[in-house]
This record gives sequence, C-alpha cells and structure tokens, in this order.
Amino acid sequence: MIITLDKKEFSEGVQTVARFAERRSGTLPVLAGIAIIAGDDGIKLRATNLETGIDLKVDGTIKSDGVVALQASTLRDIASSLSGSGTLTLEHSGDTVLVTTGNGRSTLKTLPYEDFPTLPLPEAPRAKFELPGALLRGLVNAVSPYASVSTVRPELASVLLKSEGSNLTAVATDSFRLAEKKISLSKSVEPFSMLIPAKNAIDIMQTLPDESIEISVDEHQCAFFWKKGVLTTRLVTANYPDYTQIIPKSFVSEATVLKKDFEAALRRTAIFSDSFQKVRLGLDAGAKSVALSAQNADVGDSNESIPAAITGDAVELSFNHRYLSAPIGSIATESITLSASGIGRAMVMRGAGDTSFLYLVMPMNQ
Amino acid sequence: MNRLDARELWEYTLTQVELSISPANFNTWFRDSSIVKIEDGIVYIGVPSQFFRDWYLKKFNMLLLKIIRGVSHEYRNIEYMIVKDDRRRPKEVRRQPQATVEMPLDEFYINKSDGLNPRYTFDTFVVGSFNELAHTAAQAALKRPGIMYNPLFIYGDTGRGKTHLIQAIGNQFKKLYPGRKVYYLTAETFGQDYTNAIQAGTMNRFKDKYRQYDLLIMDDIQFFAKKEKTQEELFHLFNALYDNNKQILFSSDRAPAAIPDIADRLRGRFSAGMSIDIGEPDTESRMAIVRKKAASQGVYLSEEVIEHIATSISGSIRELEGVINSVVCHTQVKGVPPDLAEVRHSLRSFARPQKTVSVKHVVSKVAEFYGIDEESIYEKTRRREVVRPRQVIMYILREDFSVSYPTIGSKLGGRDHTTVIHSCEKVKREVQADPDLAKEIQDIRSLLV
Repeated sequence: MIITLDKKEFSEGVQTVARFAERRSGTLPVLAGIAIIAGDDGIKLRATNLETGIDLKVDGTIKSDGVVALQASTLRDIASSLSGSGTLTLEHSGDTVLVTTGNGRSTLKTLPYEDFPTLPLPEAPRAKFELPGALLRGLVNAVSPYASVSTVRPELASVLLKSEGSNLTAVATDSFRLAEKKISLSKSVEPFSMLIPAKNAIDIMQTLPDESIEISVDEHQCAFFWKKGVLTTRLVTANYPDYTQIIPKSFVSEATVLKKDFEAALRRTAIFSDSFQKVRLGLDAGAKSVALSAQNADVGDSNESIPAAITGDAVELSFNHRYLSAPIGSIATESITLSASGIGRAMVMRGAGDTSFLYLVMPMNQ
Repeated sequence: MNRLDARELWEYTLTQVELSISPANFNTWFRDSSIVKIEDGIVYIGVPSQFFRDWYLKKFNMLLLKIIRGVSHEYRNIEYMIVKDDRRRPKEVRRQPQATVEMPLDEFYINKSDGLNPRYTFDTFVVGSFNELAHTAAQAALKRPGIMYNPLFIYGDTGRGKTHLIQAIGNQFKKLYPGRKVYYLTAETFGQDYTNAIQAGTMNRFKDKYRQYDLLIMDDIQFFAKKEKTQEELFHLFNALYDNNKQILFSSDRAPAAIPDIADRLRGRFSAGMSIDIGEPDTESRMAIVRKKAASQGVYLSEEVIEHIATSISGSIRELEGVINSVVCHTQVKGVPPDLAEVRHSLRSFARPQKTVSVKHVVSKVAEFYGIDEESIYEKTRRREVVRPRQVIMYILREDFSVSYPTIGSKLGGRDHTTVIHSCEKVKREVQADPDLAKEIQDIRSLLV
C-alpha cells in the first residue's frame, strides 16, 4: 500500500478515528489500532472498540491498494505533531510502514490486520431516517450527562431515543434525576426506540458532522451514515423503565425565576452545603420569593431569597445542589420554572415557555 | 461422553478454545459469552453484541463446532444470539448441597482439565504385600515430586490396580499442591493428540501444552511400540520435563526392558528413575480388597463369603470387582447380603474356575460325575463309558486350565498328544451340536469350583 494524503486531512481523520480505538489494555492488541484501507472506494480509516466503530473516508491519492493496521496512539501523536502544510506519504512493506513528510522519514510497526474485526451494520433496519447532525447532537447532548455512570443497570447507563410521528425524543436518567428533550422533524419517521450506551452516545455526538446524516436502526445495532463515513454502535437490549409515570401530572406549587438569579444564588448557597451537598429550596407564594438555604456544622449557614412569580401553596424541599445546577446549562430561556408536586415528590425544572426540555429531580429526605 | 448441561459444556469449550487462540483474543472475544440454552441439538451461544456475532461467525464457528461435536454428536449446530444486557449478568451460582448418595454415573466422570477420575484415591486403594512397594514409592514421590523417583514407572498385569494407583497419585498431588498442574492421559491419547497437531500444524502449541505440567501421568505406554515419531516426541517432552524437575509417571503392562519395539534411548529413560512391579495379589490382599470394595458400596459380607470370593477368583482385581458388583446387586435386590451358598451359586455363572487345579482333582470329579472308577481313566481301556469321560477331562483341562496337550497326554496314562488334540477337537465340536453334552460340561465346571 502506498498512499499520499494532505497533512491536515490526515491529522483530522486520525484525531476523529482514534477516539474509537480501544484504550483499555489487556484486550486484543489490534483493537488499539487504526486500520488504513486503500481500495476502490478511496482511503478509509477504521477503528473499533467493539462497542462503537467508525469508518471514515479521507481524501488522498492511492498509488497502490492495500490494508494496514497501526497503533492508534502513535498515529495520533504523529498527527498532532504535524505542522505546516504539505503532504504525507504512507508506504507499507513487510511489517512496517514508512511515513514520509517533507524531509522526515519514520517507520512504524504494524499490527496484525487479520484480527481486525468487521464493523457490523444493522442487518434488517427497523427504522431509517435522515436529520441534520447538529440537531441530533443537540438532542442527545441535552440529556446524556444525566445517564447513570454505573453499569449495574445497563438500561440506565443509556440514552433512550424514540420517535412518535415526527417527534424525536431523547431521555436519560440515573434514577435520581431524569432529563427529556424533544424535537420535531420536518417529516414523520417510523416509530422506533433504541438505547444507546451513554458513553458511546457522547463519543458519537462529538464526531458527527453538522450536515445531514442518515440513521439506520435494528434490534442490536445502530449506524449513522454521512457523506464521509459511518459510525456504528451496539444498542442496549433491555427494557427502559416507563419514565412517563414518574413525571407529575399536577403540581402544588410553581415558581418562575430568572435563570441568572437562580444560578448565582445556588452557587453561593452551595458553599454552605453539608457533606450530603444538601440545599433547601422554599417556595413561598406570600413573599413572592424562592428561598435557598444551607447549613454546614463546620462552615456555617446561609440564607438567600430571589424574587419569583409563584402560584400555589408554600412548599419546602431539599436537594443535592449539584442536581439543581446541572440542567441550567441545558435550558436556553431567560427564566426557569420550578414545579413542585409536594413533599418527598419529584420537582420539575423547565425553561419558561419551553416545552422541548424537561428536567425532573427527586428531593432528598428531609 | 455424556451430555453436559450448558454451563459445563461452555466451561469445557472455553478450556479447549483457550489452548488454540492467543490469550488476548480469548479475553476479548470469550469473556462475556455463554451458552444460553441447548435445544434440539442446537447450541445457542449468547454474545454481547453484533460485533461479537459477526466475528464468531467469521472466525470461531468452525472451531467451536469441532469442540462441541467432540463432546457429543448430538450437538448439530451452533446459533449465535445477542443476549439482553440484563441477562448477561452472571447469575448467582447456588451450590446445591452435595447429595449423600453417590450417583452411579459419577464413576465415569472425568475432570476435563486434568483427565483425572476423582473416584481413584488412596482412601479406596488397598495396600497389600503385592503392591506395598509401589504404594510406598508413590508416597515418596508425592512428598518430593520431581526429585525422589523421577520417572516413576509402574508395571504389572492387567487388572492389578496400576491405573488406580497412578490416578490416586494425581488426585493426591492436586490436593497437596493446589497451585500446580497435573495431567493424566493414556499413551493412545498422546499419540492421537500428536497426529492431530501435525495435521493442524499446531506443533508449537502441542509442545507448550504438555510442557506446562508439574506432574504428567501417562498410562499404558506399551502402546507406543512401533510409533517412532510419537516416541521421539515423548523423548523430547520427557527431557524437557525431567530437566525442570517435573514429576513424570508411567504405567505399562510390562517392565521397560520388556516393551517391544521401543527406542532404546526411551527405554533407558523409563528405567532411569524407579520401576516397580505390581504383582499378583495374595489371598489376604484379595480378601481385604473384597471387604473394602463391598463396604464402599454399603454391603457388609461375612468372613466366609469374603474368603470364598477371594480364593475362587484369582488374578485380576477387575474380575474381583465384577463379582463384588454382582454381590452388591444381589444385596440391593434382596435386601440382605448373600450367604456362602448363594455366593457359591452365583460364582458358578462366572465360569472361570481356579486355574491352579491338579489333574487328579479334575479326574476324580469327572469320574464321580459319570459314576465310574477313577482308575479306569488312566487305563488303556477303550470302553465307551470310559472314553467319553476321558475326552471330557482332556477338553476341560485344555479349555479351562490351559494345560498343554503333551502334559494332558502324559498325565492321563501316557497318551500321545495327537490323541489329546483329537479328543479336545471332538468334544469342542460336539458341545456345539449337543445341548446335553454342553449341560454336562457346565455341571462339571460348577463341581470344580
């Protein structure tokens, strides 16, 4: 195999693909590698960690066809050290690859390509649809931070993606809080639902381009196709809990506060939170304010109230302050609505007037 | 081999697969898989994702199929299915309390990883004067494996307990040194493995496989005769193990010097350590064996019964076990152990009377049976009533006691050996045609026991 690529094209390709190579040690050595495939349909870079996999086309000229697998970490180091413009030539012979850049020549040891797994694509897609990558990224990224980090329950360590008519919904929960984001597409898609492991979803969303992508889903596998490449991930095959049940239908009290007020007050109060990171939130309709308080036997205590538009009864709830501050970044509007459904029951946070995003958080025991 | 349950089958498969692929490959592809179910001869292997299913189909299908077919031909095919993530979690293995009554099939159970049958232990091994030396040497070798007696070569006729002894050493070794590796195999298995390795081109793996053991037990090595290449391989294996002070244990049905068609360098090495003969068990040892074997099956026999069994069955312990089994079966059916008369009766059906019997004894019994004078047998008379019994005596002496033709002739009044041959052939022919004669001979045989 002899190929010549533009340095910039090569670095971008390698940086993108290297993310999908296996980083843990003790597995198959070739999984820590990137396969470079030069054939009839151009030059492709391929990597997989058996959870996700990527096939990315890069522009370049092929002098002779061939396949070779190279250590991903080394390639990434090479890619990030390249400077200036110009081209780079890879020449495969025996068990080494000669890399030529301008006046520099280096040889790289190859990995055994025969052990390199194939990328599985959905065999009998249940659903196929197209949408802009930017839109999908916004959808998944809005909820993926709230998926469980523990793998004890694989379904909670996943992002649920489902369609209803022309609506696409993403949900993630770690059983303490839950986030749901909806978007509507220009045309309706077949109803489907899939569970992407959250770790994979984050990697994939970072890689997807803004342009239009086609998504194909079957029972165990999901693939994202775009002009220059394919990404594939395994899906979790478990039943997702019926989360709509825990979203309260009616609320005893609702407060709308300015996002920046709430964020600042929360940050100040959190300083005084105890080892459980507890912050008390009081909704007081009479005083037209939301009170935040915290106390820590070692540090001291703090009380603060921010003006709010409140309807309903007065209610006081305690929360882990991290769970309250986490969704603020995902809310785009100026004001936030806090809807409490009673003591010991879930509170819902939304952007005022924004129905696309919902964040639900369970209070701590009093 | 019998059918296994899914977990056992998978564990066995893994041990086989581990030998034939690299550790990295094994860890990557086999760690999270398992057999989900076995249905209609189709083995369903559960894998974590489609990556795995595609790769299994591409790379491992043939290997797995070969392994499970090797277990049983009942397994026709393998299907791969992606299992639900919540099912993949290993289920809590709940250990059933060991059933107190041993299941009959356990006797044929063989531990897959070391080839040993756990039934063979020193607890069930009867030590008598005939095998005392072998037993002591075994204990010494166990105390300082690889140093004391290396190799330990145990030989003796069939059914003398060679296999029991060497397997007991293996089982004891496992108990004493839990971290070390034992492997038991027969010479035939080794030869087969060698041929397979040549065919598959996996000689290196073959060599590595055998060189990893701390105690290698090879049974029935007389079967290496004439297999030159296998002998050569064994020679190298021997040297590798010996140089690393790994204990080697051989058994054969004859002394190293007496094994025909075996390379001299190998013969020399066999006898280099300690070679011990297990002789024929004496009557007292046989009685001890009968007592122990019957007791291990929960049957307690009276002394006279034990003595009778031990004296009437000689030689092979295996035959002794056969008699004990029939006694045990009798006890299980009737509820009480048989008495002497019953044992004597059931022993008749074994129809292998004492080998050491005097001609005189046979003559007197047969004469008694036919109601003629004992002396007339030895006379040169050709009276019909004498000729038939005389021929029967010759036949029985030849068939049952393997006395040579000339001896029979000279003992029965100096007759020519051709006469004896003729008589034996004649009776042999007639026994097949004449059921009455067959009955007579059967009755005489039972008299002789």
